[in-house]
Amino acid sequence: MIKALRYFIEIIRGSFITGRHFASNFFFRCLKVLGIKTKRKGAETIQYPEQRKEIASRHRSLHRLMTRPDGKPRCVACMLCVTVCPSECIYVEAAEDPDPEIQKYPAKFIIDLSRCCFCGFCVEACPEDAIRMDTGNVELAEYSQDDMIYDLDKLIR
Amino acid sequence: MTETLYETLIIFIKIVCALVWLLACTLYLTWLERKESALIQDRVGANRASIFGIRIIGLFQPFADAIKMIFKEDFVPSFSRKFLHTMAPFISFFFVAITITAIPFGDTLRIGNRTIHLQILDFNVGLLFILAMLSLGIYGIIISGWASNNKYALIGGMRGAAQVISYEVALGLSLIGLIMVYPSLRLSSIVLYQGELLFGFLPKWGIFLQPLGFVVFLLAALAETKRAPFDLPEGESEIIGFFTEYSGLKWGLFMMVDFMEVIIVSTLLTTLFFGGWQVPWLASDGFHFPWGGELLLSHVVVVLLQVAAFNIKVFFFCWLQILIRWTYPRFRYDQLMDFGWKLLVPLSLVNIIGTGIIMTL
Amino acid sequence: MQEKANEMIKIFIDKEPVEAEQGTTVLKAAERAGIHIPHLCYHPAFPPEGSCRMCLVEIEGFPKLELACSTVVKDEMKISAKSERVVKARKAVLEFLLAEHPLDCPICDKAGDCKLQDYYDEYGLFESQFKEAKEKREKKLKIGKSLILDQERCVLCTRCVRFLKEVTTTQDLGVFHRGVHSSVNIYEGAAVENNYSGNLAEICPVGAITDEDFRFKTRSWFLKEGESICPLCSRGCNILIEYHPGFPRFEVPKRVYRIKARENPEVNDFWVCDRGRYGYSYLDEHRADKIIMNKIEGENVLTWENISEYLGEKIKRLSSAKKTSGIALILHTWLSNEELFLLHKIFKDDLKVEKIFFADLPQGEADGYLLTSETSPNRRGAQEIGFDIKPVDLDALASGTDFLLAFGPFLSGLFSPKDLKAALNTVKRKVLFSSYTHELNSLFDIVLPVALIAEKEGSLTNVEGKVQGFQPALEPPGESLPEWKVLSDLGKELGIDSKFYSELPSPEAILIEMGKKIPFFKKKND
Ligand code: SF4
Ligand code: SF4
Ligand code: SF4
Ligand code: SF4
Ligand code: FES
Repeated sequence: MIKALRYFIEIIRGSFITGRHFASNFFFRCLKVLGIKTKRKGAETIQYPEQRKEIASRHRSLHRLMTRPDGKPRCVACMLCVTVCPSECIYVEAAEDPDPEIQKYPAKFIIDLSRCCFCGFCVEACPEDAIRMDTGNVELAEYSQDDMIYDLDKLIR
Repeated sequence: MTETLYETLIIFIKIVCALVWLLACTLYLTWLERKESALIQDRVGANRASIFGIRIIGLFQPFADAIKMIFKEDFVPSFSRKFLHTMAPFISFFFVAITITAIPFGDTLRIGNRTIHLQILDFNVGLLFILAMLSLGIYGIIISGWASNNKYALIGGMRGAAQVISYEVALGLSLIGLIMVYPSLRLSSIVLYQGELLFGFLPKWGIFLQPLGFVVFLLAALAETKRAPFDLPEGESEIIGFFTEYSGLKWGLFMMVDFMEVIIVSTLLTTLFFGGWQVPWLASDGFHFPWGGELLLSHVVVVLLQVAAFNIKVFFFCWLQILIRWTYPRFRYDQLMDFGWKLLVPLSLVNIIGTGIIMTL
Repeated sequence: MQEKANEMIKIFIDKEPVEAEQGTTVLKAAERAGIHIPHLCYHPAFPPEGSCRMCLVEIEGFPKLELACSTVVKDEMKISAKSERVVKARKAVLEFLLAEHPLDCPICDKAGDCKLQDYYDEYGLFESQFKEAKEKREKKLKIGKSLILDQERCVLCTRCVRFLKEVTTTQDLGVFHRGVHSSVNIYEGAAVENNYSGNLAEICPVGAITDEDFRFKTRSWFLKEGESICPLCSRGCNILIEYHPGFPRFEVPKRVYRIKARENPEVNDFWVCDRGRYGYSYLDEHRADKIIMNKIEGENVLTWENISEYLGEKIKRLSSAKKTSGIALILHTWLSNEELFLLHKIFKDDLKVEKIFFADLPQGEADGYLLTSETSPNRRGAQEIGFDIKPVDLDALASGTDFLLAFGPFLSGLFSPKDLKAALNTVKRKVLFSSYTHELNSLFDIVLPVALIAEKEGSLTNVEGKVQGFQPALEPPGESLPEWKVLSDLGKELGIDSKFYSELPSPEAILIEMGKKIPFFKKKND
C-alpha cells in the first residue's frame, strides 16, 4: 500500500518535471521571440542548414583516396579494405603498373555508399594509408542509388 | 413562417460555428502538441513552415501538414475490403464530431427580443448522448482493423476495442456520482447548477463536489483518446496498430479523430467538473464577489467573458493532456487492463457509495 | 612412387608417442602424425635440401638444434618441436630471412598462401632491428612464358631450381653469386619454357615467382577451392579448382581464377601441366545456361522435368514401329563412365541402335611426362564399356536418320559448316546436349545445357585404366544439369528395363552396377 503510494507520488513528480521543463523553456523562448537576449537558450536545437555542428576530428565521413606526389592513387589495390568491409561495399580491380616499385594500382575502385555503414574498418585495414574518411562531408543524400556508387574519379580529391 | 426560417438559420449558423471551432482547434492542437512536446524536451519544435519567408513560430505548420496529407497517395491495399476500408475513418470521424452538438459553449445570447442558446441542441439526455457517441466511435477502429485484412491491423483493432470498452465502464460509473449531485442529464442544467455557491464563496463546480469522480473520469477519458500512455491500439513504432494499412488523408482522419477526442474530453471535463462557461461569481448582470462588492457589466461583455472562460478551460485541459502524453511511457497491456478494471472501476463504485452516504446525511 | 611399408618404430614428439617408419625423417614423421613443423625449402617431392633452417627442432641427446627435414628418425627418439629454445631459434631464423625481405605483402600474390607470412604471424612478430636500407634487387624479372620473378622476395629455398632439375630436367634456373648477393636467375638468353613451368609459382613457398595468368586478378583468400579432375587430356591429373564465390553487390569477371595440382602419387604426383593449369577458360566462357527450343511441335515448353518424357515418347514411337535404325547417336569422351554406360545400355543393349559415332577434339601431342596425345579424358572408359569408337560419318548420318541425339560442341570442328548443315538438315529431329553457346546450336531443334566435369559427379578412366571418381567442385551455370540425370530418367521412361534404371539414383549406384556387368570396373570399385 505504502509502495503503491510511493509510485503514485513518483508519477505526479514526473509530470512536474516535464511541467518544469515546459515552463522554464516557455519563458525563455518567449523572451527570445520578444527579442530579449538571455544566457539560457530554452532549447538545445541547432538550426541545421544554417548552423552546423563542428565535426569531431575522429568523425568518419565520406571516404577519399589519397594520392602520391605525382597524383596517382596511393592505393596499391591490395584489397584488404575489400576483405574487411563488413558491408561488402568496396570493389577493387587491380592492374599492373609499369613501375616495378609500385607494381599494382587500382584500375577500378568502387565504393557503394548506399551499402556502407561508415564503420571505418577500411581505413584501419589499409596498409598504405590510401583511404581516409576525413572529408567532413556527411551530406550524402542522392536521388538515385546509382549516384551513391563512388568510383576513382569521385574518391580522389 | 419567417420565425421558422430564422430558427433554422440560427441553428445552421450554430452548427457551422461549432464545427469550424472544433476543426480549427484540432488543426492548432497539432501545432500545440508539437510545440509543447518540443519545450518539454528542450527543443524548438516545428518552426520552418513559412509563407513568403514569414515563419511566425511555425504557425503555418498545420497547413503544411494538411497539404502534405492531401497530396500523399491514398493507398488501398488490394486485399482489403475496399468499401469498409474507406468507410472506417469516416465513421470514427462522424461519431466524434457529432458530440459537439451537445456541448454548451455559453449561456444565452440576447439579440433584440430573441434568445439564442450557445449550444447546438439542448438535449435532455445530453450526457448520455455524448457517452453513446463516444462508444460508437470504436466501430471505426474495429472496422478499420477488420477491413484492412491484415492480421496485425486486426489485432490492433481488437486491442483498441477491448481498451475502449473496458474504460467505458469506468467512464460511465464515474459520472453517476455527478448525476446524483446535479440531478439532471441535461448538460446546460448541469452547468447552471455549477453557478451556485457552496458555503457562500466556493463555486459548486464538479471538481469540488466530486473530486474522486473527477480523477477517475480524467483517467478513463485519457484512455478513451487512445493516446500515450494508453496508445496500445496504435503503438505507432512498435506494436502495429489498426491503421497500419491507411495512408494519405484517410490516415489523417484517424489522426484528427485522436486530436478531436482530446478536445471533446477537454470540453467534457470543463462542462462537468469545471463549471463549463461559468466564471466564478459572475452572474448575468456582472460580478457579485462573496466579500461584498459588485462589478456590473453589460450583457454582451458577460456573454463574451463566459465564452472566453469556456475556451480557456478547454485550452487548459488540452495542455494538460498533452503534458501527460509527453510525460508517461506506455502501459503494458495487462497493466492497462488491471488499471481499468481493478482500480478505476472499484474507485468509481466507492465514489458512488460515498456520494450516496454524504447525500443522505 | 610410394615407398615400401617399412618397419614401424616409436618416437616421441613433444612427449607424445608417435609411430614412424624406419628411415623416414623427423619432419615426415611429424607430418604423418599431424604435427606441423615449419619449413620452407623442404618439399615432399624432393630430397631434403636444408637451406632455410626453419625446421629446427630440439632432439634429446643432440647438443645443437637439428634440422627436422633431414634428420632420420631413430627408435625412442625424443623430439621437441615447440620448446622455448626451438621457438626462439625459429624467431631468429625468421628475422634473418626477413632482414632482406621487402614489405610487399599488400601487392604480393602469395599473401594469404605465403608460408613466410604464416610463420611470421606464428613465431615472428618482432620489431625490425635493421637501420640499414634493404638490398635492392630485380623486382620484376620475366623468367618464362608467364612467370615473373621478384628476387627481393626470394628466400633462396631452391625449390624452383630443384624442380627444374629433377622433374623437368631442363635446369633453366640457378642460384647466382654468393652470400648476401646470391639470387635466383635464369641463364643468359634462356627462359623457363616447358610445359610444367606453372608449377614453379605453386611450389615457391613465398611470392617470389608469380604467375602472370593469376597476377593481380584477385586475392587468394577470396577464392574457394573444389577438387576435380583435369579433363584436358587422358592422364586424369587431380586438380584443385580455385573459384571466386562472388560478391553480393558487384559482379566478378569470372568464376575460376586458377587451377592448382592436387597431390596424387599414382597419377600426377604434385604437378599439373601448363595446358591443364592455364586452360580453364572452358569453364567460364560461352557457357550455355538455358534450354534452347528452336523447333518443337505444339505448345510444348520443355523443362528438365518433362524433357525425358518428351525424348522418351519420340524414341518409343520409333522403336514400336521397329525403326530403331532411324536413331543416331553422336557421343564424345568427356562424358563420365556412368553416362557412357547408361548410353550404352539404353541405345546399344536395349534399342540396338547401330549408328553410334564419336566426335572428339583432334589428337594433340604428348610431352612425354603427364600430357597425353589424347585430348579427351575418357576414351579408355568408352572402350572398356564396349563402345566401338567410330568417327562421325556424315553420309551414314544423312541416310535415313529420323532422330539424332548429339552430345558436345566438338562436331563443328570436324566438318565444314556447309557439309554439317546439309547432313543435319536431312535428319528429322535432332537434340543436342552441350555446355556452350555455339553456332552449332542453331542446327538443332532442342539444345540442352549440361554440366561440365568440374560441375558434376561421376568417374573417369584414364589412359592407364585407372578409374577416378570426382565430385562437383562448382555449381553448374543457370539451368545446366549433368547428363546422367536425364539419361537415367530416359531409361526409366522407355520402359524396356525400367526396374534397372529406377535403382540408379546416383553415379555411385551406377558405378556399382557397372562393376557387376563389366569386370573391368569391378576391381576398380574396391
Ligand atoms: S566504412 Fe566500413 S562499410 Fe564503409 S566502406 Fe569502409 S569498411 Fe566498408
Ligand atoms: S586497403 Fe588501401 S591500398 Fe589496399 S586496396 Fe584498400 S585502399 Fe587500396
Ligand atoms: S612473399 Fe610472403 S611475406 Fe613476402 S611479400 Fe609476399 S606475401 Fe609477404
Ligand atoms: S624463387 Fe621461390 S622457389 Fe625459387 S628459390 Fe626463391 S623462394 Fe625458393
Ligand atoms: S625445411 Fe629444413 S632447412 Fe628448410
